[in-house]
Amino acid sequence: MINFEEEIAKFQPSLEVEQAEDVIQNNDLTDITDLIKSMIKELKDK
Amino acid sequence: MICPECGSNVAAKRNRCERCGTDLTTFKKVTMLSNMYYNEGLEKAKVRDLSGATFVLKKSLELNKSNTNARNLLGLVYYEVGETVSALSEWVISKHFQAENNDADDYMEALQSNPTKLENLNQTIKKYNSALQSAKQGSDDLAIIQLKKVTSLNPHFVKALQLLALLYMKNGENDKALKALSKASKIDVSNTTTLRYLHELDEKNDVEQENIRTGKKENRKAIQSHEQTVFPTTTYKEDKPNVWAFVNLIIGVAIGIGVLFFLVVPTVKKNALEEAKKIELEYSESLSKQTANSSSLEKENKDLQNEVKKLQQQMQEYQANEVDGAIYDKLFAGIQTYLTEMAKENPNDIDYVAIADSVSTINPDQLDVAAAKDIYDQIKNASFVQASQLLYNQGHDQYSARKYDEALKLLEKSYEYNPDNVDAIYFIGRSYHQMGDLENAATYYTKLTEGFPDSNRAREADSKLREIGR
Repeated sequence: MINFEEEIAKFQPSLEVEQAEDVIQNNDLTDITDLIKSMIKELKDK
Repeated sequence: MICPECGSNVAAKRNRCERCGTDLTTFKKVTMLSNMYYNEGLEKAKVRDLSGATFVLKKSLELNKSNTNARNLLGLVYYEVGETVSALSEWVISKHFQAENNDADDYMEALQSNPTKLENLNQTIKKYNSALQSAKQGSDDLAIIQLKKVTSLNPHFVKALQLLALLYMKNGENDKALKALSKASKIDVSNTTTLRYLHELDEKNDVEQENIRTGKKENRKAIQSHEQTVFPTTTYKEDKPNVWAFVNLIIGVAIGIGVLFFLVVPTVKKNALEEAKKIELEYSESLSKQTANSSSLEKENKDLQNEVKKLQQQMQEYQANEVDGAIYDKLFAGIQTYLTEMAKENPNDIDYVAIADSVSTINPDQLDVAAAKDIYDQIKNASFVQASQLLYNQGHDQYSARKYDEALKLLEKSYEYNPDNVDAIYFIGRSYHQMGDLENAATYYTKLTEGFPDSNRAREADSKLREIGR
């Protein structure tokens, strides 16, 4: 049985066009490659 | 492959960067894994498992953020489910990693080239956010109205459809909820939320089926069919324009034209013909009247002309019979001249021409009185022959002087006073002959030959006639 209040609370607002700039700027673009590079660098520094 | 350390191009077969010497084995494995996730995401997207595609594409990007293929596809998936801004952000980031030969350019161009479309999408998102706020505040009816507007503006907005279905379910409108969830399911077949809601509706339908026999099987079948994970890709079809409306319009116009030609036009023509006949009749009547008038006028004209002729004749007779008082004045003048001339002592001084001239204009027929007539005759007898001779002499002198015009005047006057003066007649002919008027010359020659054949002048006239070929 669905709890309607809980379900409604799960819904998040959609991004508007005015927020696009902030979203792009705040986007975390770190990937595994960056992690491996940082790990390699730490190893080298050691 | 691009070396993650120094950014130089490395051949695919090499495991170490030639420039910086970095071991690329791990990086190559990571890239391969990222591509594998991308391929999986592509397969899921092809069968409309958009939620699954989103998950694996994000995995791909976590492994390799510069995988522009995965990022572009993720953007497309976001756009398909109605998350326009998320799609735009992915494409912008993709452009950041690969500035040239990037499909993200086309996607953004398609979206941003029509500012109205982008603005409408933005308004849709704002309306959805407003509806969500209303739903959270308990204003279900308002939220439903807003969400219905949102889904009509953007039928692919999955979250809006899910929220609308949830509100319908909350209000007990399961059919409408099912309809909304069906639409959401067609867009993203494996969306967990959609499947949960459908399952919820399915359970409710099972309970209702115990009491109601008909009408729910279709819904159950619909729910069961939605539980399948593989769905054929649906195509977007626009409503076909209603052709029959135009066909009916054309048929109506054709019927109208037929009625016009077969009913209205003949009647109009008939009326026009009758009108024309009426006018023709009137004209012919007036024409016949005028013709009758004309003939009567012509007859009257003829009668009048005849009367005029009669009157003119009468007038001429009156004029002819009128007693000219002036004639006696002329007679008296002639008498006076006669007496004056005759009173001259020397007979050679008598001017017979003057006497003759004074009475020559008198018409003896107009003299009523016998005595007057006698006087006239007396004067005439006393003067005309002598005057004729005198005039002949003068005319002959002029003829001799080759003055033929002057000679003619005198000779003709001489002939007038004495028509028996053969000399005058001959020299009139000679004068005309000398002037080249052979016709008149022949006339006078002939008068001599016919009127006075025994005279000496007749022989001369005859020779002259032969001379001129008459």
